[in-house]
This record gives sequence, C-alpha cells and structure tokens, in this order.
Amino acid sequence: MSSEGLGQAPGLLVEGLGPGLPVPTVEPRARRARLLRGIPRFVIRRILLGLVTLFIASLVIFAATQALPSDPARAILGRSATPESVAELREQLGLNKSVVEQYMDWLGGVLTGDLGNSLAAGVPVTEILGQRVVNSLFLMLLAASISVPLGIFIGAVTARRRDGPLDHTVSTVTLATAALPEFVVAIALVVVFSTTVWHVFPGVTLIDPGVGPWNYPKELVLPTLTLVIAVTPYVTRIMRASMVEILESDYVEMARLKGLSERLVLWRHAVPNGIAPTFQVIAINLAYLAGGIVVVEAVFNYPGIGAAFVDAVRSRDMAVVQALALLIAALYVVLNLLADLATILVSPRLRTSLK
Amino acid sequence: MLSADEALSREVQRGMTREDLLRRAAALGIVVVGGGSLGPLTEAALARTQIKRGGTFRIGIAGGGTTDFIDGQNIVNEPDIVRNVITFEGLAYFDEQYKPRIDGLAEEFVAEKPTQYLIRIRDGIEFHNGKTLTADDVVYSITRFTKAKLGLFGTAAFGAVDPKRIRKLDGRTVRLFLKRPDATLIDAFCQYFNGMVPEGYSPTSGRGKGPLRFVGTGAFKVKEFVPGRRSVHVRNENYWREGQPYFDEVQIINFADETARVNALLSGQILAAGDVPFAQVNLIRRRKGLRIYEAPSAAWDPLTMRVDQAPFTDVRVRQAFRLLANRPQMVAQGISGHGRVANDIFSPFDLCYAGDEFPQRKYDPERARALLKAAGREGLTIDLQTTAADSGMVEVAQIFAQNAKAGGVTVNVKVLDGATFYGDQYLKWTFATDFWGTRNYLAQCALATLPTATYNETHFNNARYNALYRQALGIVDRKKRCALIKEMQRIEYDQGGLIIPWFKNQVSAYSAKIGGFKIDVGTLDLNKYGNNFRTIYFV
Repeated sequence: MSSEGLGQAPGLLVEGLGPGLPVPTVEPRARRARLLRGIPRFVIRRILLGLVTLFIASLVIFAATQALPSDPARAILGRSATPESVAELREQLGLNKSVVEQYMDWLGGVLTGDLGNSLAAGVPVTEILGQRVVNSLFLMLLAASISVPLGIFIGAVTARRRDGPLDHTVSTVTLATAALPEFVVAIALVVVFSTTVWHVFPGVTLIDPGVGPWNYPKELVLPTLTLVIAVTPYVTRIMRASMVEILESDYVEMARLKGLSERLVLWRHAVPNGIAPTFQVIAINLAYLAGGIVVVEAVFNYPGIGAAFVDAVRSRDMAVVQALALLIAALYVVLNLLADLATILVSPRLRTSLK
Repeated sequence: MLSADEALSREVQRGMTREDLLRRAAALGIVVVGGGSLGPLTEAALARTQIKRGGTFRIGIAGGGTTDFIDGQNIVNEPDIVRNVITFEGLAYFDEQYKPRIDGLAEEFVAEKPTQYLIRIRDGIEFHNGKTLTADDVVYSITRFTKAKLGLFGTAAFGAVDPKRIRKLDGRTVRLFLKRPDATLIDAFCQYFNGMVPEGYSPTSGRGKGPLRFVGTGAFKVKEFVPGRRSVHVRNENYWREGQPYFDEVQIINFADETARVNALLSGQILAAGDVPFAQVNLIRRRKGLRIYEAPSAAWDPLTMRVDQAPFTDVRVRQAFRLLANRPQMVAQGISGHGRVANDIFSPFDLCYAGDEFPQRKYDPERARALLKAAGREGLTIDLQTTAADSGMVEVAQIFAQNAKAGGVTVNVKVLDGATFYGDQYLKWTFATDFWGTRNYLAQCALATLPTATYNETHFNNARYNALYRQALGIVDRKKRCALIKEMQRIEYDQGGLIIPWFKNQVSAYSAKIGGFKIDVGTLDLNKYGNNFRTIYFV
C-alpha cells in the first residue's frame, strides 16, 4: 500500500479519465525540462506584472490621499489649528512643495528602500510600522495555520458524509458564521469569554511595546478565534463542493472497486485533487485577512497595522498610508501568485500548458 | 491699600479659609474615599483610610495616535493632557470648586499693582534630572508662553504679559510687568497645561526630540513612551510633597476604540477610564467592583453662528435659532441626562455668573417663526457642520435639526471627520459646533468671544462688550468688576452667536480597588486625574 505514491495509482489506472489527472507517462525527463522552463518564466512574468500593479496602486493611493480634504498640518494640530501654527507646521513638514514633487520624493525613496518619515510623528515609517507589521502578520498566519487545515478537514469529511446529519449541521453553521461580520463575532466572544459570562481570557490585547505577541498566548486566543471563525467557513464550503464532485468521479470509484479502504480513498486519492480550487479561496481569504484585520484589531486594541492605518488616514499621514497600502497590495499580489502557482502544480493540465 | 487681587492672592496663600474648610467637609460627604488634598497624610491617617502604597495603576485613555507627545506646555488631545499633568506641574491650581489656589510650585503669587505681579517659588524643588527649580526656569517657562510662534495651547491667556520685562529678582523670585491690567492672570497660571519646564527645554513645538523633553517636577517620571500606544511613568522618589505619590508606577494606555476600552475595564485589565461614553454608564454601574465618577462641570458644547455672515447678521435670526433649541430634550437625548440645561452664557462657576438671573430660554418654535418672518428669513435652509470631537457634539447638531423643523427651518447636518472639520474652513464655518471645558468668564472671553480671541468662531465683535472687557480686567474691586461682567453677559444673552444647550457632567469609571478621587467641577476627568496621579492609591 505504502508503495503507491501520491496521485500515481489513479493516474496509472484510469489514464485520461478523471478531471485534471496527473499523467506523467511519456518522456518524463524532457517534460520536466520544459516544466522548469515554463514555471520560472511564468513566475517572472507575474512578478513583473505585480510590480506594475503596485506602481499603479501607489499612484492611486497618492491621488486618493491628495483628494482627502484638509492637510496633514491641520489634521495634526486639530483644534489648535490656528493660521500661525498651521503655517509653521506646513513649513516644517515640507508641505509647501508641489504635489508632483512630493510624489517623486516619495517614489525615489521607496525605490532606494526608504519609506520616508511619518509626517505626524517625525520618525521613519519603518520605526512606527515595523513592530506592528510583525504583530499583524503573526496574528494572520496564526489564524491561517488553524483555519486552513481545519476548513480542508471539515470540508472533506462533510463531502464524504454528504446529506447526513453532520453535513447539514456544518452547512448551517458555516452559512451562519460566514454571514456574521467579524466585529459581531469578536464582541460576542469578548462578552462570553472575557467580560460578562466567564472571565477566562483578556478582552483586549495589552502587549508591552517591543515584545512579540507570541509571548502573550492568553491575549491571542480571542483575536485568533475571531479570525478563524471568519475564514474557516469559506474554506470549508469550497472544499466540500470540490470534494463532492471528485468523490463522484470515475477514478475514485475505481479506487474503491480496487478494494482500498474508504479512508485511503478519501485522503490519498480524492483530497489531493479536490484541494486545487481551495487555494484560490484561501489566497483571497488571507488577503482579506490583511485588510479585514483592521476591524478585529480595533475591537481587541491589538497593536497591529489596523490602528496605525486608521490613525494615519485620520492625521493625513501620507507616508504611513502609502507604506501600509503598498504593503497590503503587495500581499495581495504575492498571495495570488502563490495560489496560482499552487493550483498549477497540482493541476497537470495547467502545468503542461505552460510550455 | 490692598487691592482685590492682592487680597485674593493673600487669601490663596494662606491656604484654606474656614469657610472653605466647611465647604470642603461637605464635599467630603459625597466623595468616594476621603483624604488627599488637606496636606500630606500622616502614616496613621494612611492606615485609617486604608491606603496601600505601591502598585501599578493602569488607566485607559481614548483617542490619540502617532501624533501623541509629552510636552509640559502644550496639548492637543486627551492622551497629551494626561501625560502632561503626570510629568509636569504649574505654579498654581484650581481646587475642586474651581477656585484658584497657590498650592503648586509657587508659594507666593501677589499682584503688587494691577500691572505688576510677584512670583516666589518653593525652596528645594527638583526636576526629574536632579536640577533644582530656580527663578531662571520660571523666567524661561513664562517667556515660552508668550511666544505665539511656538503655537502653545495656553499662549492667548498670557497676552498681557510683557515678554521683555520678565525679571528675575533672586534665586526664587520673579517679577512680571503687564502691558495692561489683567485680573485673569492667576487663571492662566492655574491651567493644567501651563507647566513649568527647565531652562533650555525645547521639544520643538511638541513634536520633536528636543533636549530635556520629558523633564518636569511632577510626581512621576517618564520611563517609556510609545506614541499612540502606551507610556510608563515611575514614582519620583524626590517628589516635594511629603508622602506622595502612592503608586510605584502608572501606565497610560491609548485606546482607539471605545468598546475595547470599556471591555478592558470590565475584564480588569485597566483600573480606570476617563470620560466613558454615556451609553455605557449603566452597564458599568451595575458591575460589582467598578464605580462611576460623575461630577458636575462647566463643560459646554455650543452651536456657533457667525454673526458677520448671512443669515446670522440679523440678530433676530440668532434669537430665533436660540429659541429653536429644545434644551431639556438635548440634555436627555444628546448626553443621556448627564448634565443640566444652560442659558447661552458660559462659565457657571464664575463668581460673576449671571446666566441663571436671565429668563431661561425655552423651546418656542412659534416665536422663532415670527422672528424669522420679521427678518425676512422664513423657510431658511442651512448647513450645520459638526465632528465627533467630544461627547454630544454630533448629537446636539442632530437634535437641533429635528427641533428646527417646527420653526420651518431646514438644517442639514454635515458630520465631518476631524481633519476636515479642523481644515481650511475651521473658525470660518457659518454654522458649526464646538466644545469647551470649565473656565472663568473673562478667561473664556479671551479665547472665544473677543475680536482678538484665538477661537472666535462666531466672529462676535461688539464694541461695548470689548470695552467692558478691557475695563473689567483693570478693575480690582470684585463687586464693581462683577457689574461689568454681568453687563457683558447681558449683551451676549441678547445678541451673541452662541447657542449653549447644556453644562455637561464629567463621567468616568474606575475600579473599587482605587481610592482618593474627590468630586471636582474642573475641566479634567477623575478629579484632575487624581491631582496629577499623586492623591489616588490602592485601598
């Protein structure tokens, strides 16, 4: 049994029948050579396209920050924005330069690896964001590392027991949780586990500045759980849908007829083929997490990019807004690239078309 | 002869009068835990009031961000205020009834003449860097107040001080010469944001990294500061008031989200929250182990009508609009009943306040309609700009829009974000909202209703009113001065551009583990944050 490699048995048995079957039968060596030529070229092309996307995004973001009413000097001074103090601060911040000049300054900085100084705080953007980016990424990856396997597992199991009581329950629950905005989930969790019903987990994340969030496992529970509840339903549902189709295919039938155990049929033969469509959904959800995390961070006062983003927009801190928007855009580009790559690698038809 | 100012100064120098003591004793009846400002407590008294020394006190403050700073002489938002008062101290302070007291860094503050003041500071007070506070530091600090270019929050109140004649007499004494009499100077020195800083102090307008930037004389020293997140303050071992402060450490934590702050309080992660949303008060009140601090204050959130712009150039339109405000409804709905109805006059704690002597303005759409008709402004449509800078500020606009319909006036409320509201149009809006804390009458005029005022949003400029103001500043007899001030209030009541719906209560929350808060009618939350965090403690 163990000699049957991943996806190889069905390929040998029912060549050309199932959807997207791995069929490396002729000239494996030559095929692989072409493959290596195809995929790097694909990656490089996509990276270049991604850079163009980022450049366009930076233009749009800059235009948007310029279109916002008011300017950083007034936003920073707030109620003390008297004409004298505004003039003084505008001078200090270099806001008297033309818009084009400001953009070129910024772009030049970014290309040489300098994100510039925060207008509001007067310190490098990286100093303000460094820790926060790490905190947010950590929370995102933690949530993803739980919700993705969980979603795949539940999706596969419910597909296998289609129309059973478990399937119906999961289907209802995932539909309901997918419909709930995450701040509702977050507040409900806080009420239940922190402030009103039980007092087991802290309701807000008070982390010492300069210390990684991983040192505060108790504080991480509720924010992570919120994100897991937000993401898992999507992964579950797409996995289930894809698996239902696969489980009805001929090659799975063949594997069963061959006398393989149901568990082996499901996890060895069906799941690896059913997983491809979920990559796209996972990528979209992870990218969504990067932006949607803003709301969750606000509820838990989590020291991530969310609060910094809102604050930067409020104080018209262009350098910080641009850096964060660019970061999130880059994350989108990278995640989409990875998802496409993963899909290609598990889908022979796509893989072979990349010549 | 002793001038009234002199008499006042002598009086405050002596500390408390008998009457004050009685009044304060009465106040003690309603305070949560007694003790505190009657002077340094003896160890026996400490034991009696169950004061525990030490501990870390965490307080959650709403708002702020990467623009937060710590500056002894400037503030923009609430976190700046809290970090200012925990680090720096002024020459004098308002007491719990908003009366000036010389109980700060000065031991003497005397008006030698209406245009000449003498300041003597206490002996042996040390800055956080070990340097002794001297007359040079006082001269330097006051000179900074007078520099308009620095954009300091308190500058307007020092307009009378002649910056070229701030004279050091000896190591602890300074004499100020005024360009014109100013009876409100003591108010300026009592303001919590006008702190004394060491000579050479320069945080470059509050945003920079200047030398000595965290060096004050306060009960706590800055240990760590991450703008927008948190600051940590440790006990100043060389603090000059015996026995104080009680905490070992204070943490001031920023919260961007109100709900998160209340949750942190409910789950015990913070021990106090200044200025909680009125909607959350009942939830907190019901909770065992938490207390609500509610103090009547003179905080007001006006609607501001520009008297130099149509349609408000016609006094009848202003009067009509004042009759279109249903004040009891505004208090009930706009601030959930946490306040009292006002009568278009500010500064209710001023000894010369006359707002309660004029007939209380009532909601009267019929008369408003008639006034508008007489002015030829029936069926008026107008925009009202507001922003959520303070509790009730958006609500008051929305309720007014509702109220105004009955008078045939259509008010379009524009809720703007802070940066837009305080943008190019700030102080130029025809019809907008604003918010103010507690101040005495003349001090408030200098900021809001005179042509020279920094924040004269109504562009009010009444010759008689301005003349009365100048005259009042020079009059030393309090009774005579009150007569002038009352006439000013009458002018404002009849012709002014402010609709003042309420005086709002200060509502904060704290843990029952903390004691020492006294009811305080001043501007700052939680008894001036426990008198700069030095009179509060774990019980």
